[in-house]
Amino acid sequence: MSNSHTELSARTFVDVHAIQEELDQVRWGLHTDGQESEAAQHAAAEARASVLNLIAVVSNEPELGEVTSVLERLSVTNPSRTLILLAQHTREADKLEAEVSAQERTESGHRVSTERVILHAHGEPARHLASLAAPLLISDLPVILWWPGRPQFDSPLFDDLCELADRLVVDTDEGFDDADLKRLLEVARRQKARASIGDLNWARLMAWRHVAAQYFDMPNMLARLAHIRGVSIFHGSDGSTAQARLLGGWIRSRMATVGLDVPLEFRPDDSLEHGVHRFLIYTGGDEGPARFSMTRLRGGRLSTQIRLGDQELAERTVRLETRATEELLGIELTLPGHDVLFERALAAALQ
Amino acid sequence: MAQAATAPLTQNVLRDGLILPRTPDPAAMVIFGASGDLTARKLMPALYNLALNRYLPSGFSVIGVADTALTEDEFRAHMEQAVQKYSRSQPVDRAVWQSLAEGISYVRMPFDDEAGYGRLAAELERLDRERGTNGNRVFYLACAPQFFSVIVDRLGAAGIARAGEGWKRVVIEKPFGNDLKSAQALNQAIHTVFNEPQIYRIDHYLGKETVQNVLVFRFANGIFEPIWNRRYVDHVQITVAEDIGIERRGKYYETAGALRDIYQNHLMQLLSIAAMEAPPNFDADSVRDEKVKVLKSIHPIDVANDVVRGQYGPGWVGGQQVPGYRQEMNVSPTSTTETFVAVRLKIDNWRWADTPFYLRTGKRLPSRASEIAIQFKNPPHLPFAKTAVQELTPNVLVMRIQPHEGASLKIAAKIPGPVMRLRTVNMDFFYGSSFMVESPDAYERLVLDCMLGDATLFAREDEVERAWGLVDRIEAGWAAQPPPAFANYPAGTWGPPEVDALIERDGRRWRRP
Repeated sequence: MSNSHTELSARTFVDVHAIQEELDQVRWGLHTDGQESEAAQHAAAEARASVLNLIAVVSNEPELGEVTSVLERLSVTNPSRTLILLAQHTREADKLEAEVSAQERTESGHRVSTERVILHAHGEPARHLASLAAPLLISDLPVILWWPGRPQFDSPLFDDLCELADRLVVDTDEGFDDADLKRLLEVARRQKARASIGDLNWARLMAWRHVAAQYFDMPNMLARLAHIRGVSIFHGSDGSTAQARLLGGWIRSRMATVGLDVPLEFRPDDSLEHGVHRFLIYTGGDEGPARFSMTRLRGGRLSTQIRLGDQELAERTVRLETRATEELLGIELTLPGHDVLFERALAAALQ
Repeated sequence: MAQAATAPLTQNVLRDGLILPRTPDPAAMVIFGASGDLTARKLMPALYNLALNRYLPSGFSVIGVADTALTEDEFRAHMEQAVQKYSRSQPVDRAVWQSLAEGISYVRMPFDDEAGYGRLAAELERLDRERGTNGNRVFYLACAPQFFSVIVDRLGAAGIARAGEGWKRVVIEKPFGNDLKSAQALNQAIHTVFNEPQIYRIDHYLGKETVQNVLVFRFANGIFEPIWNRRYVDHVQITVAEDIGIERRGKYYETAGALRDIYQNHLMQLLSIAAMEAPPNFDADSVRDEKVKVLKSIHPIDVANDVVRGQYGPGWVGGQQVPGYRQEMNVSPTSTTETFVAVRLKIDNWRWADTPFYLRTGKRLPSRASEIAIQFKNPPHLPFAKTAVQELTPNVLVMRIQPHEGASLKIAAKIPGPVMRLRTVNMDFFYGSSFMVESPDAYERLVLDCMLGDATLFAREDEVERAWGLVDRIEAGWAAQPPPAFANYPAGTWGPPEVDALIERDGRRWRRP
């Protein structure tokens, strides 16, 4: 089946009403005189599906290009209205410009349509872009705020957009330091916080958490979980270490629910690639010592092994997906409400 | 140093919050018919994909059982080729395959060979010892149905299926019997070794995401259930149409026909889930209780008036000229086996009284389509001048199982302009384009459910027997009629002419799926 991608319209506006009118036109394929076009008749015969509003905030033009490509790929499986805010309040001259476009993709015979608005603001309007974004959202659909890079936690724009959003998605792997992680936790725990927090870095840890949990799904291993003596996490030492800390925070916070304080050992290593490389769980107790290990292999795989005393049990290799940003975002878009586990893992990581 | 938890753990706290299925206990799966088509096309690719996606436990092992002369290495190589060819995930990850293959072994034996079961027992004990399978076993009968009873009998005699350490489950492929009597006999034979909760009768239709989605559609959306009854529904059409012929299955099909091959299982399953009451929860018996109630409520069918059978003759499908059924390989040139069946039935309960259900299935029809179509009644009065109610197409809610899984709702809308003109439009929801995750194959879901001990999507004893009872009634009716004048529909058409009369005498028409 052939796939295609068509840009239906791309025009520039400055007035919110003009933007709304253009959005209606690109969504339903109306002519400028408001009459129904052939495209409109076709659209009426099929109806459009939209599952969410997505707001992305970028700070410069190169980032705009990257984010636009990610969102285009995401739109195939998440037909949505996308607002991309290029907010440059440090540039002096006031400017507000909007570009409205619609994309139509045909994938495996299914037509998916998406509208996109790029709002580009300098100076004072850049601080108040939320007031322009709000009326452009499709009503009754969830609003996801994706902030690539380190969010400007102190900017009024950040607060205003968090007020609009149902979910704030960040990537703590993008240079988040301790102060950033603390701010993120504060946002998650704000009184009356509307937006829940999603972290692409947390989504990357899904396979590690899954395999670690699987060990103790086995009835004869569950008892050992109550006797965790410690955890070691080997990780690359370049860039952010947030991923390793979140993994440690996760197991620590989980075991705290049954009154167990798990010592964490972090082993940064220059020779390892970025991110978590190896995760070891040591248990003791009456059943003797055991080690549960997970090791990242080349080619997107995870090798798992249990050692009971000196005996090595069955080893297995499973997939460790290297997911593209749009895939990670796609996961975040389907998660409901506050992710209490993430928030607790984040808090434990900061202890 | 960490202290121990204050109390022994009764649940895996690391599992909390993971939106992933629980991992089954380490187990050994014994596949009878391991050198056959089903194992190669479906089972082994399903196991590979489960392993790839981290759903299988450490120590999971497979013992292939067949009477084909193969060494263990040859069997593994054969399985690897099958995965390469049929896995939905490509390319095949060699390291993951190797990891799975380490747990694969092969026992060559005829299925009735008592000594062979001794070797099988020894192999299972080895796996318990070396791979920690702890006595947990799935016996998967992927072989010809005539071996079902003998395998179960020998498993019982050899003590392999005996309760003790670990759980024991048996998976049985369709056809589960070929009439009520044989199904009852088979149930009885299996029950001498396995209890009903240990028996998993597979109908892969139930493993399809979109079949399960019918239940979600009905019971998780408040707007549909209030109108899902005789007051608002005019009638229901359920179609399982295939554009292919019988391919190389002539020998089997001659003894089965459309009635046994599709009507008894797939169509009855779709009917049950379309018509059932809401279960109190989604556990196995709650769901199956409601499905069985539907089958119990089916009004006795008047075979002469409410059933149409057909057999395809030569014709054209998809631009290709195709032979008639009687010209297919391993088919008698005078065969009276039906390749098409349509049934009009009614369900005697408060929800559906007097609402007809039209079911049809056939081979070599113009297109491949499986769907449940709920046609609603017309509005009683249309207050628009010069627009007669009859001009409007009724609202139809279609749940498509395949292809293009999804749902569509046909509604009326005004055509823009000064004159009040109405037009019918479709609101479509494509399942595939609305979710990021690729749908797993039905076998992946069902194998995993079996290992987790969840029988919700498997047929229960009474369900199977009820469905066979309905088939037997139709067979008896046909036996009392003169032999049919087959072939009575050309390949590439929607069945014999009588099928239109079946629905048109009620003032209705078949949908074109």
